Amino acid sequence: MAENRFVGFKCKKCGAVAYPKRFLCPSCKGKDFEEYPLGNEGKIVTFTKLWTVPEGIEQLPLTLAIVEFDGKVRVTGQVLSEEIKIGDRVRPVWGHIRKIRGKDIEGFRFERLA
Amino acid sequence: MTKFGRHDDKTLLSLMTESSIKALEDAGASDRNIDAVYAASMLAGELNHQVAVGSALVDQLALIPAAAERVENGPASGGSAVKNAYCAIACGLYDTVLVTGGEKMRHVPGEVITDYIATMTNIEAEYVHGVTLPSLAGMLARLYMEKYGVTEEDLARVAVKNHLNGSKNPYAHIQQPVTLEGIYGSPEAEVNNPIISDPIRMYHCCPVTDGAASVLLAATEKAKEFTDTPIRIAGVGQATDRMAVQDRKDPAVLEALRVSAAQAFKMSKRTPRDMSFAELHDAFTILEIVESEDAGFFEKGTGHKALRDGVTALDGKFPINPSGGLKARGHPVGATGVAQIVEMTWQLRGEADKRQVENAQRAFSCNLGGFANNIVAFVLERS
Amino acid sequence: MAFEVTQCGDRSMSEDIESILGVDWDIPKKPYPPKTILLPTGERMVVREAAREEVPKLLQAITPLLTVSRDFYDIVAARQYAELLGWYRRRVRNEFCLIGIVDGKLAGIVNSRAYDQKTHVSYHTTALKRGARVGAHLFAAKHEHSMETLGAEEILVTAESPIGFRRWIVEWGLQVRTGVQHELGGAKSWVITRDIYQKVKPRLVMGSRPVPDDVLKKAATFENAPLDWVSQQ
Repeated sequence: MAENRFVGFKCKKCGAVAYPKRFLCPSCKGKDFEEYPLGNEGKIVTFTKLWTVPEGIEQLPLTLAIVEFDGKVRVTGQVLSEEIKIGDRVRPVWGHIRKIRGKDIEGFRFERLA
Repeated sequence: MTKFGRHDDKTLLSLMTESSIKALEDAGASDRNIDAVYAASMLAGELNHQVAVGSALVDQLALIPAAAERVENGPASGGSAVKNAYCAIACGLYDTVLVTGGEKMRHVPGEVITDYIATMTNIEAEYVHGVTLPSLAGMLARLYMEKYGVTEEDLARVAVKNHLNGSKNPYAHIQQPVTLEGIYGSPEAEVNNPIISDPIRMYHCCPVTDGAASVLLAATEKAKEFTDTPIRIAGVGQATDRMAVQDRKDPAVLEALRVSAAQAFKMSKRTPRDMSFAELHDAFTILEIVESEDAGFFEKGTGHKALRDGVTALDGKFPINPSGGLKARGHPVGATGVAQIVEMTWQLRGEADKRQVENAQRAFSCNLGGFANNIVAFVLERS
Repeated sequence: MAFEVTQCGDRSMSEDIESILGVDWDIPKKPYPPKTILLPTGERMVVREAAREEVPKLLQAITPLLTVSRDFYDIVAARQYAELLGWYRRRVRNEFCLIGIVDGKLAGIVNSRAYDQKTHVSYHTTALKRGARVGAHLFAAKHEHSMETLGAEEILVTAESPIGFRRWIVEWGLQVRTGVQHELGGAKSWVITRDIYQKVKPRLVMGSRPVPDDVLKKAATFENAPLDWVSQQ
């Protein structure tokens, strides 16, 4: 997960967009993809505030959400903003997500747009 | 089945052996050779330092040279083992198959269990971000509250109902009823029922449990050799969905349940309306509500209304989880799918005593592996 | 293990030596106002202060836990046993004990002591009735007594078991007080300050007062918890 461009993977055969990267297109089993920028604005589909957080995560509670981009792809991730509701617009922010067994993990998190 | 609960003095294998022996005795088959033994367990290797549980069990039961294997499908290991046993008999390879599901997990710290269970989510898309199963339940509940007006009180109501049923089930892990006021509405509810993953609270989650359950399956023409009241597996279904909840067509729909339930009903030539009761997979109370709809018993978005009206209570028109469900009976992960079959068998035989569903003729069960991305469904009926 | 304590103090010792060795309260003492708490089971738990004379019965209740190593029950029981016995034999200063009674049976025991007017030291929390949040409620009650009845400014807390740590220290959002060893074996001390207490109070400190007379009267005595309460779950 060293890529810090927020991109999905569009199937060259059928146009379906997948995220994260994978071998076969889930719609048509195609093998060829091109990068598809997911943009800077997504909508919160649903969220939760988790109080029993896994090891290596410092935020308590941890806010997690499923965010929809461009009507095409949904992405799961941590939310940096405290007050959110379904339908809120958020943008992806690259950074430190957590540690796993002492190793730092980076990825995209979400921040509410005004 | 063994009593579900805490069994510090037993091993996984001893629980599964004990349960198997009981099932064989119930079938009058203690002295017989069985063709195959399928052992279901999700975490035997990780928690009990024992792999190849099927081989271990067939040896303990003195059933060699019977075929044996372990079946693993997450928390649907039990359901899958029953399904595989059904298939093996239906294709004519075996006449009799013993299925035992078991799990011993209470000796492990809660966070470790939660982590192992979280590894059945999509690792790259979900797990790495800190997703655990309670958080997926929280997100589903939040969505359902927004879309269909389900309330926190509804989540608590399922728990109250299932605890009441559990109090009538001598095998249940938790036999202590809870009151709605005790877990919702009173000021004390804030301490009594703390938030796990908003809006999911402690009493909306099933416990971690030790236990094992067993069933003996036999070809229809052989069944009468074992019992005068064989219960027939009339329908079987299984379906998968996209693993990550984000990738589901509609995150509020358990598509895998719609497909697998439809398969089971079609095969049994029955409809949801023909069922006398259902054993659903209420690992979180929100799941009972959603499953009651997507399995076909209530219109989408109305499951909570049926719950409020008492339709799904033990004495209601359509009881759900007369055993107490995962919530009160407990959830030894690999055992649950088999325990559902055991409960349905007892109910359909009229042997469920204080929790007997009146005039039970046919029943439906669904066993979830993962967060509803892999579901095994059954329709059972009296022969 | 049979143990009999038939009287407070030891008459065989001279009154002079007892006055040297014995300790009692040396800060203003006020009684804890009893309350009832609704448990998830729908039962009501009476929370009241225990009297010194009740200690022998409390010791009986704790004794079976002395050999249960699961969840660190054994060390919690052993230490609480010593603390309560110490209070009974007048060898612990400023100690108090609150008990929870459900349906006439002893559901839980909590104790603390005041180091001085300002600083209290939280001792132990034993839930005999498990799976009903008894421990959470009694833990909060003893801090309520320290802060509100006795006027403490801070309470030092520690934990022996991971469950204790998660439930008390994490749930209350406590920070470590560096440089202070807790009386319990010199372990780390976390602190409940007045601020923290006021902040968590609406969320964690529960109960109804006053307790109806007939309920309080019934709770004046108790039976020890059935042994299978503890083995549940």
